[in-house]
Amino acid sequence: MSGSKCSKLGGILLKQVLDSVDTVLFDCDGVIWRGDQVISGAADVINRLKEAGKRVFFVTNNSTKTRTMYAEKMAKMGFKVAEEEVFGTAYCCAIYLKNVCQLQGKKVYLIGNPAMAQELAAAGIQQTGEGPDLICGQQIDWANVPLDPDVKAVVVGFDQHFSYMKLNRALQYLIRQDCMFVGTNRDSRLPLEGGKAVPGTGCLLQAVETAAQQKAQTVGKPSKFMFESLALQFGVDRERCLMVGDRLDTDILLGSNCGLKTLLTLTGVSTLADAEAHEKSGCTERQKMVPDYYVDSIADLLPALQA
Amino acid sequence: MAGAFVVKGCQKIGGPQIRNLLEAKDFFLFDCDGVIWHGEKAVSGAPAVVNSLIRRGKNVFFVTNNCTRPRESYVHKFSRLGFTDVILEQIFSSSYCSALYLRDVVKVRGQVFVIGCDGLRRELQEAGIPCVEEANDPDATIYDCPLAADVKAVLVGHDDKMTFLKLAKASCYLRDPECVFLATDNDPWHPLSGGRILPGSGSLTAALEVASGRKATVIGKPSRFMFECISSQFSGVDPAQCLMVGDRLEVDMLFGSNCGLDTMLTLTGVSQIEEAQEYRDSELTSNHSFVPDYVVDTIADFLPAFEELEEQSS
Repeated sequence: MSGSKCSKLGGILLKQVLDSVDTVLFDCDGVIWRGDQVISGAADVINRLKEAGKRVFFVTNNSTKTRTMYAEKMAKMGFKVAEEEVFGTAYCCAIYLKNVCQLQGKKVYLIGNPAMAQELAAAGIQQTGEGPDLICGQQIDWANVPLDPDVKAVVVGFDQHFSYMKLNRALQYLIRQDCMFVGTNRDSRLPLEGGKAVPGTGCLLQAVETAAQQKAQTVGKPSKFMFESLALQFGVDRERCLMVGDRLDTDILLGSNCGLKTLLTLTGVSTLADAEAHEKSGCTERQKMVPDYYVDSIADLLPALQA
Repeated sequence: MAGAFVVKGCQKIGGPQIRNLLEAKDFFLFDCDGVIWHGEKAVSGAPAVVNSLIRRGKNVFFVTNNCTRPRESYVHKFSRLGFTDVILEQIFSSSYCSALYLRDVVKVRGQVFVIGCDGLRRELQEAGIPCVEEANDPDATIYDCPLAADVKAVLVGHDDKMTFLKLAKASCYLRDPECVFLATDNDPWHPLSGGRILPGSGSLTAALEVASGRKATVIGKPSRFMFECISSQFSGVDPAQCLMVGDRLEVDMLFGSNCGLDTMLTLTGVSQIEEAQEYRDSELTSNHSFVPDYVVDTIADFLPAFEELEEQSS
């Protein structure tokens, strides 16, 4: 790693950095779009990078879309992207449960969303629990809620139908049936356009972890799993790879953990002040969240891609 | 702080030692679930113990983190289960104390957004604290929900009707740093009979802490506030004259320790004696606050001591 960190990327330095990488990974929310609003210039950046012969992938903690849905959203916004290039946590969680937890042909209790249910089905994993689940009956009924004996894991992703009853069922599976416990990610907020935000999966996961007094394995950034799946599938050289994101505690930390170059864009969650605070702290853990470079927006990469 | 004994740490005590305690202490604080009752069933002998303490002129209080009932409802339950001498003023629940905190400490001007049961709302209303009406808004989504004006506090307690929408609204209100963030208690789970458990207020509070990036002020045990409520309402409450009796080490014993009270663990509830011994033998000094001064199998073990005291005085 170079001595100086957190350098603004532009001019000659920008050209040098782009020449030094073959693969560029982009986070989505806060980097290429905010909710349903594309970041100005983002589509151009992605398309020109590909024209210049770089491989481009998307690595997002958002669990509410399948790879197909992401590809469709991107096409509508003018990004030339193939499904296989998108690594969202709905897909990666299914892969994790299939390959690491060996649950193909088995069943899980899901606190999640239709996209997760679809990706699980594509991986040969059944689920129970997706959809609304409101309370009825008495306390003692809830504690004795019948458990499906085929359920081998409790899986938690973004679920707008999250309720006390779902929290309760997850608890009962974890306590009474010795299930594995997997979460998509720990993001505290799901960013939307206009600077609005909604509570993230991290809140739901924390609720279940607290009730059950157990910690989940998480699939999403900053855990290395998503990068390693991608690297395995596509033969990526870490030394020639750039991670672009807007969150220091997920995107940049993932980049550091995997030995990649890291670029912070300021169109999302983290600020330059946040990065500088980590840099000034004496703490080695916090140093991992200091990006190598930053830009105001990824549109700032365009000047190097015009030729 | 160890009454007539030198060694602090999990002393299982019987007849004569309990008798000494009964003479030495004037104030007896009891947790409820797992101590004096299990659900709708009194712990065998508990009514006799409580009634005897009260008749002997001891000050008896009930300190519970259970925030689902208003105090009037507790009075009926006490009566139903045979604790005939218990009156409203002796009952300190986390819901009642949350109302006191909002009224007397925060002195809240404006509305309170409550994530909790009817029992909690009733206690707030009893104290004259306006709560945001539970909206039945079919068009509201988590992305676009109407917010009430002038919300100056968010209070989280056990809520079996908890939804994502409530979580979303609460985290919006908490973006205002002037809006106070309170939790009735931090218990991660509640025990039911038959070894079953249910998610507790602590799990809902944890979700909201992650969503808001803020830490809640906890009203219930092990925080000192409920003891401060008791002291402010009754004169002459001296910690040295108090005994806290409970069944959860991390809640009741820590509460006692935080307030400078002697503590007694009864084995009719959540914690086992082995756990207490582990804490006692731990190298981490912070773990020592979970260690009870005394241990009994059940509070019914007080009964022989009463009989002896009766014999003595006759």
